[in-house]
Amino acid sequence: MYKSKKTGIIGIIITIIILILLVVATNTEVSKMSYIENLVNNIVMPIQNGLTYLKNKIAGNNSFFESIETLQAENDELKKKNSELEQTLREFEVVKAENETLKEYVDLKDKYQNYVTVPAYIINRDITNYSNTVIINVGSADGIKKNMTVIADEGLVGHVISVTEHTAKVQTIIDPATAVTSTISTTKDTIVVQGTLEDNTILRATYIPTDASVLQGDNVETSGIGGIYPRGIHIGTIRDVVNTNNITDRYAIVETAVDFRKLDTVLVILKDNAQ
Amino acid sequence: MKKVLAIIYLIIAFFIIYFLQANFFSWFTIAGIQPNLFIIFILFIGLFTGKNIGAIFGLILGLYLDLLLGRTIGISGILLAMIGMIGEYLDRNFSKESRFTIMLMVAGCTAIYEIGGYIFNIIRLGLPIEIFSFAKILIVEMIYNVLIIVIIYPLIRKLGYALENVFKSKNILTRYF
Repeated sequence: MYKSKKTGIIGIIITIIILILLVVATNTEVSKMSYIENLVNNIVMPIQNGLTYLKNKIAGNNSFFESIETLQAENDELKKKNSELEQTLREFEVVKAENETLKEYVDLKDKYQNYVTVPAYIINRDITNYSNTVIINVGSADGIKKNMTVIADEGLVGHVISVTEHTAKVQTIIDPATAVTSTISTTKDTIVVQGTLEDNTILRATYIPTDASVLQGDNVETSGIGGIYPRGIHIGTIRDVVNTNNITDRYAIVETAVDFRKLDTVLVILKDNAQ
Repeated sequence: MKKVLAIIYLIIAFFIIYFLQANFFSWFTIAGIQPNLFIIFILFIGLFTGKNIGAIFGLILGLYLDLLLGRTIGISGILLAMIGMIGEYLDRNFSKESRFTIMLMVAGCTAIYEIGGYIFNIIRLGLPIEIFSFAKILIVEMIYNVLIIVIIYPLIRKLGYALENVFKSKNILTRYF
């Protein structure tokens, strides 16, 4: 089949436009799309309001059910009050959790003073979608050795898996091959957190003891078991607890304290003075 | 002499592709998923130069990538060498004239490479099996690679036939005379 050169170029241009649109659309946060949300709302809402008004008008004309309507209104009012109270309670819980997190951070700052660290920049990120290693710009010349712990201001980043003279390869905690034994800071229960393919901002916490009470907002930190990571380094907070039919299979979603997408500078722990 | 020059050009092309993959495509992603330009590159070499050069390039470049960023050494080398060899097989059985066949070849090779790598990592590193997440990433990656092929197909054709003339000139003579 004969195809003109012009059609080919148009095809390529269309594909490039589709690719750019795909990249922009899939990487834009929903919150930044509020103008589209507004537009969608503006199209539907005026009609919806009109229809609701009409429906209320028709329903209101029926005098037989006046008492029922009063009861209904009262009930609605009470439900509304109840949901408002629940909302306030939730807000209090959030404030409480935030307060605890901030307290933890203050403690964390003190904890990090015990470590002798070397600052480093991330100079290369992983080029595949299935693993998550990074290269940092310090190596054996700076005293870096295999299995040393790498942290950032917010918490744990990962550990060194290989070293050259001026660079080191770090396997991050969000890599699916990494499993870190950790503890829940409030209850001191031991769990194992592991990276997932699903999302680069979460970890999956498994091996949760059956008698452990895991709550949303609980902090997770390293336990010191395993010999690589020192004890008490902040990993993240529990975002969700997923209960399964079998309690031994339940797992929790841990949101990492470190934002790996924006991570540029890290600290490699050379020595732990506390030990 | 021409062959040596062509190989040097291919090595330079690899480094350009590497920097593209590590810098540009690390943020120009579809839902956070990058394409895999190395699969396209090795398939291109296999298709136009034959299995020997394809496999050698695949093995060396794969090992290089493993040493640079991998958690284990070797698997990328073996899989990319396989794709280099598959390239010649595909060349013998399918036409390179059609953009559509090249798109299918790239989609197939992406699937082979990533599924092979994933199974190896599950066995070697004891990764948890996450079939749905893996399938989602794989499908987006395949679509991304195919879109790239649609865009660069004229370039692939032009450079490919120039490369084929250098490496397979004898074959062409026997085929036509």
